Amino acid sequence: MFDWPLLQQNAPLLLGALWVTLQVSITALAIGFVIGIMVGSLRLSPIPLLRRLGGAYIFVFRGIPLLVQLLFIYYFLPRIGLPNVSPTVAAVIGLSLAAGAYIAEIMRGGFLAIPGGQLEAAGLLGLSASQMLIRIRVPQAVRLTLPALVNEMILLIKASSLVSVVGLADLTRTAQNLAASDYMFVQDYLMLAGFYCLINIPLAYCGSLLERRLKEQTA
Amino acid sequence: MQPDSCVDTKVFRKTFKSLSIAAMLAAFSLGAMPLAAHADQLADVKKAGELVVGTEMQFAPFDFLDAGKQKGLNAELFEELGKELGVKIKFLDLPWPSVLPGLEAKKFDVVAGPIIVTKARKERYHFVSPIAEATVALMVGAKDDSIKKPEDIAGKTVGAGKGSAQLEELKTFAATLPEKVTIREYVDNNQAYADLAAKRIVAVANSLPNISYVAAQKANLYRVVQPPFGKKSYFAYLGRKDADADSLIAALDAAVDKMHADGRLAALQKKWLGAEMDVPKGDFEPTW
Repeated sequence: MFDWPLLQQNAPLLLGALWVTLQVSITALAIGFVIGIMVGSLRLSPIPLLRRLGGAYIFVFRGIPLLVQLLFIYYFLPRIGLPNVSPTVAAVIGLSLAAGAYIAEIMRGGFLAIPGGQLEAAGLLGLSASQMLIRIRVPQAVRLTLPALVNEMILLIKASSLVSVVGLADLTRTAQNLAASDYMFVQDYLMLAGFYCLINIPLAYCGSLLERRLKEQTA
Repeated sequence: MQPDSCVDTKVFRKTFKSLSIAAMLAAFSLGAMPLAAHADQLADVKKAGELVVGTEMQFAPFDFLDAGKQKGLNAELFEELGKELGVKIKFLDLPWPSVLPGLEAKKFDVVAGPIIVTKARKERYHFVSPIAEATVALMVGAKDDSIKKPEDIAGKTVGAGKGSAQLEELKTFAATLPEKVTIREYVDNNQAYADLAAKRIVAVANSLPNISYVAAQKANLYRVVQPPFGKKSYFAYLGRKDADADSLIAALDAAVDKMHADGRLAALQKKWLGAEMDVPKGDFEPTW
């Protein structure tokens, strides 16, 4: 059932594709995190219009399946005169926008858990709203929501398996292509699953390590 | 500071309104959008020095990967077409459901596939002269003796590619049989081949060149049932059906004609499809 020479031949190709998956996911996570913080704080803004704006963003990008968003960005936007972006850019945009919506809701939960007294105190000390966000709210919210954030990172890396629809040869697409030419479906897809674990198991481990560290600090 | 739930419903309503306005605007701008200003795709391709071809690398023997490298009839045939046009060829690999939308969104110049020429498809796309025969046949398990001729699939489960012309052929054929054939539709043919190997289905209907190649590669798994059951049909490459594209398709037509005449096409058919094929030269009327 297993063909070792073929496995040795395919492994480096999948390793190359793993790099594509990692590049796209990590870039998207970084951008998504920034979007998440912004939209998350919009949702809690005292100004109703801003709250609605944040709500609308989440409604759209959490509500529409990522697959549909990717297809839309890649195929539809050029038709209404927007730039005809490359597959990589389309994939990063799609993943970032979706990740931003989920991270925004996680961060909102984190922001709400910070005692109001802290912000009042910070205000009295003369910190501006953006200083408060960067120095007081974000660090605490991240610590409070770390398990949910790690969860979201893993989900995003797995969701990146959809980017092949815009023509990017990521891990999943490469494995499908390999299976289509060597007909070793079980072996190729098992290897594919293994490669995703190769990213996600260390990521989960780092997450729990970080969580323990931060807990020690506060204790 | 937490917004109450009535804000949420308002947000929903508002969002809905702005979304529908956006959708209307988008639909309007689509309809009103003028055609691209330039009128000659051939000139554009020559200026870029590159013909960009959209394809799926999961369609052996036309396009597939061998140790990560593109192989098959398309790569070699397009190389010749590129020489005729004096341009380089660049292939883009996409999942099949993304290929035709990509062509329409101008992500590439032509589609390799190749695709069976049908009347409905001719309405929407501009086909280049055909390059191979595509008549549909059945592939079964190598050790399955119960299917000796196409009619033997009566009462059994057979797979074919979703939305494919081959699927339509299979449905038409199945309707003529005394017992009902259960038809499973697959997003790509490779899933159907995998299900055939796993015995979830007894046969896969696909064009003869494709299944002949697969069966030759995996003789321990698969076998082709002769003769083909479908009507004669042909594979061709295609481009966009708009005025700009005419010049490019005409140039490709001329190149294919030239390859007919000097035997290059026949040699490629023999190399990748197992035999020379009698295909119509130039435009023709598909049987369905």
